[in-house]
Amino acid sequence: MIVRRTVALLGLPAVLVAAWWVASAGSTDFYRPPLARILAAFRDTWFGRRLLDDVAPSLARLAVGYTVALCAGIAIGVAIGASPRLRALTEPVLEFLRAIPPPVLVPVVILVAGIGDLMKVLVIVSGCLWPVLLNTVEGVRAIDPTLADTARVYHIGGTLRLRRLVLRAASPQIVTGARQALSIGIILMVISEMFAASSGLGFTVVQFQRSFAIPEMWSGVLLLGLLGVLLSLGFRAVEARVLGWYHGLRAVARGSR
Amino acid sequence: MRRFAAFACLAVLAAGATACGSSGTPPAKSAPGQKDKVAASVIAIVDVAPIYLGKQKGFFDQQNIDLTLSTSQGGAAIVPAVVSGQVQIGFSNMTSLLLAASKGLPVKVVCNGVASTGVADKDYSAVLVKAGSPVHTAADLAGKTVAVNTLKNIGDTTVRASVRKAGGDPKAVRFVELAFPDMLAALQAGRVDAIWEVEPFVTAALGTGARMVAANYVDTAPNLTVATYFASVALTKANPDLVKRFVAAMNQSLQYADAHPDEVRQALGTYTKITPDVAAKLILPKWPTGINRQSVQTLADLAVGDGLMDKAPDLNALLP
Repeated sequence: MIVRRTVALLGLPAVLVAAWWVASAGSTDFYRPPLARILAAFRDTWFGRRLLDDVAPSLARLAVGYTVALCAGIAIGVAIGASPRLRALTEPVLEFLRAIPPPVLVPVVILVAGIGDLMKVLVIVSGCLWPVLLNTVEGVRAIDPTLADTARVYHIGGTLRLRRLVLRAASPQIVTGARQALSIGIILMVISEMFAASSGLGFTVVQFQRSFAIPEMWSGVLLLGLLGVLLSLGFRAVEARVLGWYHGLRAVARGSR
Repeated sequence: MRRFAAFACLAVLAAGATACGSSGTPPAKSAPGQKDKVAASVIAIVDVAPIYLGKQKGFFDQQNIDLTLSTSQGGAAIVPAVVSGQVQIGFSNMTSLLLAASKGLPVKVVCNGVASTGVADKDYSAVLVKAGSPVHTAADLAGKTVAVNTLKNIGDTTVRASVRKAGGDPKAVRFVELAFPDMLAALQAGRVDAIWEVEPFVTAALGTGARMVAANYVDTAPNLTVATYFASVALTKANPDLVKRFVAAMNQSLQYADAHPDEVRQALGTYTKITPDVAAKLILPKWPTGINRQSVQTLADLAVGDGLMDKAPDLNALLP
């Protein structure tokens, strides 16, 4: 079982990497160097001070931006989802705001927040917020009326109601939004570093491209891909814990049918 | 899992591109009696006014060249286009070309592009501070933040040269990357302490009360060769006659532009968004036909000294 899962997980990547290796071996094209050189550049470039100087600041900004977006998105989403009047009032504005691609906001954010880490975090927040917020609104709105009525009958209110009923019922939707936000966050982490930056992964990749350090540039792209994979695996682990009850419930429902 | 798929696709694309990538297509030899087609990729800035003016004046037609101009964002995009043969001629600053050559890219400078005026208070490139700033000389920039358009290029190396010349500590200057049009707002908002600008932004900044503290090109070398036109080594070997004719037309354009500043100011409106009143005021660079080899050597030394590259390329191979 474990063997089969491992093969399923690593089989295709292994085949692709092998194909890349063979196809690029002996390449003399300056912009498409052999994979062997890219991997050598990967080792020399990223296992050293760069890990601290460029990878760490990027990931820190992503973590802060993502966390802020998650908290704000859930808080605002619960408020809007719970009140039909507020929902009717805010929906057009929310749809307008979420339709704005965050990269075009960068010059505006620079004017407001400067060129430091705050700007980069705000850019990440401005993109990650919407999937979380809108999914939370939907999740809260779709709470089972029977459950909501039952809670009312038993006079369950306040934080208890919020934790045990609202957030729990909406959590599958919230997690869906959070997963979308994570991939958007990685993209925006890179984009925010292409403006007014002096450190970071996106910045370093662009810097390599401009200084014609092509194998190093490719290695940066590889690293971004690998980070995406790791973050996605981490997310799945968290999801399995948070939504364990939900997956269990679904499995039972499927089994009993 | 979606990330995974994206990563896999990337690998496939890269592998495919490697397998079928071809490069270095020479320009099509035209039939007798027809003009040779030459495509040139430049940056839409004041520096390249001569090539637009020369095309307008018919200097390239006289050399039997049908010139097509396209604009690109910067050297990093133009160099691959030239090396792969998508365009025959490119325009780039000298530091970028030195970097490219040091990494082994087959590029060859064919003729001069643009040079500094060499006059400290009348150059088209300057380091500026806000009115009332405590920075008065380049030496005061130590410990301050300076905006440049691209890091690790001609901007930061020449600004460091200014600081060094004024007796300050060049290593203590912090650089941050901002696009030229965005710099003035950042300076006024106090986000950065100083900005490195080129025309037309120098004139615009001075108009808002900004103060010049250094002429970084002038401090670097007298009559610094800032940028040049270049081709791929393959083209210079395959079609030396075409390159020779391009250089003849280009040199004629450079001379004409240098001698007719009023026509240059008019030509600016044809390929940039510079308004006529700004074009009438801004300081024009110099367009000599010769490349100041000594100044290129200085740029190479600065690039090595600031850690942009390990070893300077062979200037005899890079320069004509």
